[in-house]
Amino acid sequence: MICAGIDAGSRTTKVVLWDAARRAVVAAGAVDQGIEQAALADALLERLLQESSLDRKQLGPVVATGYGRKLIGIADATITEITCQAWGVRQAMPAARTIIDIGGQDSKLLRLNVDGTVDDFVMNDRCAAGSGRFLELLATRLGVRLGCLGELAGRSRSPAMISSMCVVFAETEIIGLLASGVTPADIAAGVQASLATRVAAMTGRDVTCPIVLTGGVAMVPGMDAALAAALGQPLGVPRQPQMTCALGAAILAAQRGWPAESDWRSNAAGKPAG
Amino acid sequence: MAKCCGQPAEREPAEDPCAWFAQMIDHCYEYARAAKAAGRPVVGILCEFTPRELIMAAGGVPVCLCGGTAQTIPAAEQHLPANLCPLIKSTYGYHVLRSNPFLEMADLVVGETTCDGKKKMYELMAETRPMYVLELPHKSADAEALEYWVRELAEFRAFLSQRFAREISDDSLREAIRTLNHERALRREVAELMKFDRPPLLGRQVLDCKSSIWAMPAALQQYAHVLRTAARPTTASPPANGDGRLRVLMTGVPMVHGAERVLDIVEHSGGLVVAMENCTGLKPLLEDVDAEAVDPLRALAEKYFHLPCSVMTPNDRRLEVLRRLVAEYRPDCIIELIWQACLTYDVESHRIRRFAEETLALPYLRIETDYSPSDSPRIAMRVEALLETVRARRGPSAVGRQQKSPLPLGEQ
Repeated sequence: MICAGIDAGSRTTKVVLWDAARRAVVAAGAVDQGIEQAALADALLERLLQESSLDRKQLGPVVATGYGRKLIGIADATITEITCQAWGVRQAMPAARTIIDIGGQDSKLLRLNVDGTVDDFVMNDRCAAGSGRFLELLATRLGVRLGCLGELAGRSRSPAMISSMCVVFAETEIIGLLASGVTPADIAAGVQASLATRVAAMTGRDVTCPIVLTGGVAMVPGMDAALAAALGQPLGVPRQPQMTCALGAAILAAQRGWPAESDWRSNAAGKPAG
Repeated sequence: MAKCCGQPAEREPAEDPCAWFAQMIDHCYEYARAAKAAGRPVVGILCEFTPRELIMAAGGVPVCLCGGTAQTIPAAEQHLPANLCPLIKSTYGYHVLRSNPFLEMADLVVGETTCDGKKKMYELMAETRPMYVLELPHKSADAEALEYWVRELAEFRAFLSQRFAREISDDSLREAIRTLNHERALRREVAELMKFDRPPLLGRQVLDCKSSIWAMPAALQQYAHVLRTAARPTTASPPANGDGRLRVLMTGVPMVHGAERVLDIVEHSGGLVVAMENCTGLKPLLEDVDAEAVDPLRALAEKYFHLPCSVMTPNDRRLEVLRRLVAEYRPDCIIELIWQACLTYDVESHRIRRFAEETLALPYLRIETDYSPSDSPRIAMRVEALLETVRARRGPSAVGRQQKSPLPLGEQ
């Protein structure tokens, strides 16, 4: 049975096709997020199916997760990013005890039990300075591609101090630094360190190894090293760090067939269950 | 009046045993107007530490003025810092806009030195309104602190007597104590309906079963009505719970009228709030006052001094109350609500988290928010993730199933 996990994230939509019998990923892909979240996810799913020489009839259950999960009409169920991320990482890096996920719009810390289930989680979604949005803004400001930021930061000799707690003020700070002649490399390294420090603060100094870094930000070269330095601990990055959440959703989809019952949420407003 | 009202949950009016409370503010308004017309003073209060019994014994009608709407906050921020708790700002915004009818008809407002934000806000309010501030000492286990509180209430009693030209005898105080003991007992019984494996009410209904004015005869009748009708399962259908919801204990800040958003999110995400350890829940109801005590004022002081509010230090009693509520209401998890910039509950939440996770062995989630609905989807995501985590602990297969095929937990 082929199952699908759709992670409708704040900046990108990810889809993973999972072969439940072989316990293997069939295909995985990502597209930029947009207004028509459901259509984007649908098109991506269709493309992955075609590339894998599959058709819709062969597709089993679909689970949606991420910010836009409730908008994905083709999904049989929705499960939060927290649970999906844990299941995806359990598959990709089974020994993990801590997950740091830095997405486009927020960052999360998950503590896992020995069996890979979620023990506890913390989220930062009140401040973009701890998210991928910060790096996007920096790349735009410095006129480089997001993927080149790590290389740029690697050339820094004296990373700049970026102390603003808010991404809007941080941008003002960056403009000020540029105006006073600080090099783009030092600014890029400073922003990376600032982001890493902010994320590390979520752990509250209490972090069990092995630590795994996931989310789109994990694909920016140098981010793992900056975060490892801020944590004082080594951390691992899965082969496709952006995909683990969608992978978890696909694995959860394969857990069971979904009975076609009416959504219990219709009873949630206080009417006695019929 | 519209400004006072929040969004009541969708219910079928004919079957809702709590229907009367949907118009609670209107009922209170009519009552206060009639009382005022009959010459009784209306006294605004802003905290559960203020003994309503003393005000009632002086012939007054105590009415809660705590604001639960975001709409008055911009007006409040003309004077108050933006980084202040929304409850204080909302309450003060009504004052600035003169839009809370109870505050406008109040002959006196009674404040108390609980948190610093309120204390300093009262100074601003006192510029244009008659204000009396009770000084509450904060060391809850200190005998001298209690003595100070007894003296503070004795002074308040003398002040009220003089202000409203009415002697407050021990007997009139005892009568007020008996009335409110009765009301506390009724509200406790309503809350205790949630102890059942399949509670007949939603947490939102229990939260709604309260009145801004205590000891209103109509409200007392309604509590009894709820107990008569809700305890009996309705005709054809099973009770509201029993469809796979997880039991949630809420603790932290009060969810005053209009500020029930987070509880609604919990109950729309698959939770059932079975107990509320806060000032709009069980906290002020757990202990009665000994009406037969030789010195009723001292008995009153003791009851109120025992309230396990985060302004007290150390607030060990809150842990005892939580332990007791967990034993009686058997929650699957604890959700703590913190109003943004509520310093005392915010700091204390670290202790509550450890107590919940390590001593009570219950998953704990802390939600910090204000009165604006902007973060509702993100709060819902956290709550859903918490409930998924709880279900996952019950069995590896349960996690992927709950959304469309809830487990029949009602029979546990």
